[in-house]
Amino acid sequence: MTVALSGCLIALGWSSGAWAQWTPVADPTSPRDAEGNVIMGAPTPRTADGTPDLAGLWMRTRSGPPPEEGPGGGVSLEPTQAPVPLDPDGPPIVAFFEAGQNMEGGLPYTPWAKELRDQRAELNARDNPDARCLPMGFLQFHQQPQPRMIIQNEKMILIEYEANYGVRHIYMDGRELPPQGEPQPWWYGYSIGYWDGDDLVVETNNLRGADEDSPYDAWLDVNGSPHSREATITERFRRPTFGHLQIDFTIDDPKAYTRPWTVRLDQRLLPDQELIEFICNENQQFNRRIQLN
Amino acid sequence: MTRQSQANRSRRRIGVAIKTGAVAGTAVAAVAASLPLAAHHSFAAEFDSTKEIRATGAVIEVEWLNPHAWIHLNVTELCERPAAPRGSDDVEEEEWACRAPDPDEGSAWGFEMGSPNGLMRQGWSRNSLKPGDGATISGTRARDGSTNSNARNVTMADGTRLFAGSSENSGR
Repeated sequence: MTVALSGCLIALGWSSGAWAQWTPVADPTSPRDAEGNVIMGAPTPRTADGTPDLAGLWMRTRSGPPPEEGPGGGVSLEPTQAPVPLDPDGPPIVAFFEAGQNMEGGLPYTPWAKELRDQRAELNARDNPDARCLPMGFLQFHQQPQPRMIIQNEKMILIEYEANYGVRHIYMDGRELPPQGEPQPWWYGYSIGYWDGDDLVVETNNLRGADEDSPYDAWLDVNGSPHSREATITERFRRPTFGHLQIDFTIDDPKAYTRPWTVRLDQRLLPDQELIEFICNENQQFNRRIQLN
Repeated sequence: MTRQSQANRSRRRIGVAIKTGAVAGTAVAAVAASLPLAAHHSFAAEFDSTKEIRATGAVIEVEWLNPHAWIHLNVTELCERPAAPRGSDDVEEEEWACRAPDPDEGSAWGFEMGSPNGLMRQGWSRNSLKPGDGATISGTRARDGSTNSNARNVTMADGTRLFAGSSENSGR
């Protein structure tokens, strides 16, 4: 963390003059202090009908436990975000590489899911859809070091992920989930949402699964924890303060997990910033390079 | 002419042969040398985090492309060491073994950076480094023994240091 912070300071102090090419545009609706800084602890913003307004650009942040250990060195490019205090009564905090890292005993894999997950890890995660510029499992998407934007209106909520141009459509018009297997399974599945108090509850089914689709399907985390076409995912989104988004993620998939499990992840608002185009396939060469090896 | 073909031309112009480890000099090596170099990838499948490298030289070209930018360097000094504490390149100088580039390897080394969007958020632009600029880049060597590496830090000739956006901890 110290290294990352010093890197940010160095970057900010760099005075080549060549880089000020993406001018921040201040959102006039954001609460600000006398210096013009967005007040991250301000109350939850609300829409005209009184529901929480989740719209904004969000970046993953640390919650409670120290940063997970990746496979080695390296410092990613994400902006440093203030951590969120850990709620000891909340679900385990998810980790990017291993979703169940902070869960006692790890994820409750079935033998099928455990074998598949181990196969994927043995191949150094070369089939991770992220490495192919393909849509990722939701927990990877939520935790990518590239931000995501939530766009909200009464009928629909969109989550636009900067990573791999991911877009999820969440129908808010009162419709029900279709029966599992009725529509063609999609990378993003079929999602409906409704409000439960101040929580946005999003239910998703009809996801492509690791059991019947490609080697790149259904990677919940970087190490390849899978799900099947039987999965139903429930996400509870809440915005306790202006600058904090919290997501509790639950998956029920009897083919892959012996019981439903829940993990939590926290995000911080990136005020006055925007998504930056990321056309992953522009010059994607991993497939050819790895085949040469 | 594409940016990559320009890079390949630059490599030819300075008279280097790109080695691909165990198969150097074979037809496979020739194919590899002609491939565009950027890669969206699993870090661990492509790079060996136990093999660190630090190269100093002049920029041949910067490829400002998704999913990863690349800096191609005409290397004059190449330093290697087996491993380093995670997340750090602040180690004692004597831990590095430095030498001139191996003629068999050639002096043109490619360094994979983060994605342009992430680099922009850290203050980079496509014009931050230009051909001919001096730079020192530290990183992690490719598993295939080629002259490619995943960059961690870039130090400009004036001493300014910037993170390169290693993909090692972003899972890609």
